[in-house]
Amino acid sequence: MSARKLPRLLQTPAVLLLLVWMLIPLGMTLYFSFIRYVLNNLRRPEWTSPSLSNWRGFGNYEFVLNSKDFLFAIQNSLFIVCSILFLTVILGILIAVLINKTFPGQGIVRVLLISPFFVMPAVNAVLWINMILDPVLGLQGIAVGSINELLDSLRNAPLLGWFFSLWPDLAPISFRATQTSAYAVIIMVTWQWTPFAVLIFMTSLQSEDQQQKEAAILDGASTWSQFRFLTLPHLARPIAIVVMIQAIFHLSLYAEIEIVSRGNGNKNLPYLIGEFANNNIGAASATGIFAVILANIVAIFLLRMIGKTLME
Amino acid sequence: MAIVAKSSRFSQFGRPVLAWGVGLMFFFPIFWMVLTSFKTDADAVKPEHLIWFTPTFENYLNMTENYDYWRFAKNSVITAVLATAFTLCVGIPCAYAMAFNPSRSTKDVLMWMLSTKMLPAAAVLYPMTFITKSAGLFDTHFLIILVLSLINLPIVVWMLFTYFKEIPKDIIEAGQMDGVNTWGEIKEILIPLAWGGIASTALLCFIFCWNEAYWTVRLTTTDAATLSKLIEGNRAPEGLFFGRLSAVSAAAVGPIVVLGWFCQKQLVQGLTFGAVK
Repeated sequence: MSARKLPRLLQTPAVLLLLVWMLIPLGMTLYFSFIRYVLNNLRRPEWTSPSLSNWRGFGNYEFVLNSKDFLFAIQNSLFIVCSILFLTVILGILIAVLINKTFPGQGIVRVLLISPFFVMPAVNAVLWINMILDPVLGLQGIAVGSINELLDSLRNAPLLGWFFSLWPDLAPISFRATQTSAYAVIIMVTWQWTPFAVLIFMTSLQSEDQQQKEAAILDGASTWSQFRFLTLPHLARPIAIVVMIQAIFHLSLYAEIEIVSRGNGNKNLPYLIGEFANNNIGAASATGIFAVILANIVAIFLLRMIGKTLME
Repeated sequence: MAIVAKSSRFSQFGRPVLAWGVGLMFFFPIFWMVLTSFKTDADAVKPEHLIWFTPTFENYLNMTENYDYWRFAKNSVITAVLATAFTLCVGIPCAYAMAFNPSRSTKDVLMWMLSTKMLPAAAVLYPMTFITKSAGLFDTHFLIILVLSLINLPIVVWMLFTYFKEIPKDIIEAGQMDGVNTWGEIKEILIPLAWGGIASTALLCFIFCWNEAYWTVRLTTTDAATLSKLIEGNRAPEGLFFGRLSAVSAAAVGPIVVLGWFCQKQLVQGLTFGAVK
């Protein structure tokens, strides 16, 4: 017996560490979410330290639910996450099917494709919002500027000049406004996570039943119906996994929002929590609990799926 | 026959061209960052020097002066290396116990571990700030190492568990017959056998630590600030410093992107928790 007890004890450090890591901060968040707790308040200094006598019940939750910021942040979080999911899954499937067959330089293409995934989020955001999307000095600005210049010179051309004078000048888009910066975040995260989807779909495509496929070809099935009736059903499970894992990661998207949208109103839940945490800890904690609930809705499905394959 | 001919023409010319196009497109932003890093700040925003310019190394040579790059890089290296080492020290015994002495609860424990990974970090932002500030740990290497270890521990245990499961139990049991104790088993039998799996787990853990961008930004100010914090602090150069910012960004991601090329396969494993095979 003792020979087997020691090995089992070996998991206790890991389990204890994770237990403390999960329970203490989360327990505090739960506690703070039920009391009045602000960092600065000259008129009610008793609220500036956490204490049970400042019990507020569900008051913080009510406050958060009634604040415009919260509803906007939830809506915006979902908008950003769903857009990224939609784009990465579609692009991921197309690219995975494209590069799954051998062709010259397949290895190099794979390496090129996977690279964005390893770029740290802060660099990703700084790179895109400045060097690429900036409306004046970035590539976008330069491209728009040169197209306008070209149009200008065409307008002075003989014969066809009148035609081009009907064309308007292009206006560059500033990606630092509220709505457009959400688009910028979607673009940069899609760029970073499409490789992840490609990699997973490719892994899955390699286990596709080749005999079935050959039979389909012999039966004269078109490429489209092979894809529609064999490949796509085969990918159903990996698609579900990609969607859920990305949903969990992107619900806590932070660095990109912080860099692209600081102060311009494009908020998601983690960003809003950060804002609340500058003063109103009660509200920040209540928002945090909502974020946990939202993530758990996805996590339960994901865990169930992982659990099925775990012990195989 | 017609179908076969058509598809082969596509796979002969269309597929490679399209695939290379897509690959280059995805790589382009990284290429652009590296290209810009060899331009002077003045050249970097001039359309006439978009592609033709005199390359310069000054942005890389002045990284210390401009951004104090090496201080942040040192912090990144210290925290990522030590966090990876610590995670492995805790994770290897745990995965060993789970793989070779599983009990009825092993599966549940493993699932619970993964579930901690799925908690949104922002939800515990204030408690973490509060605890670390009152314990005097805020902005210390120790704190960042601990936090990075904890957020990666579930993935590391999970990956090691899947590698260890592949090792035949007989080999371990033979060791037990020979009277090797538990530590001996881990040190003499398990680690040499699972060396490849452990190495790629460590590599992936290191990459995740290096790229972490929530806690490293929120729980540091100067002393333990990593490269994520450095870049985040220079978010809006307003076009003045595109050259030097590109250089420091390229230096921050370059090594990791190269390391990443070597662990594509493990990435799938580590991020999907083995749910895709």
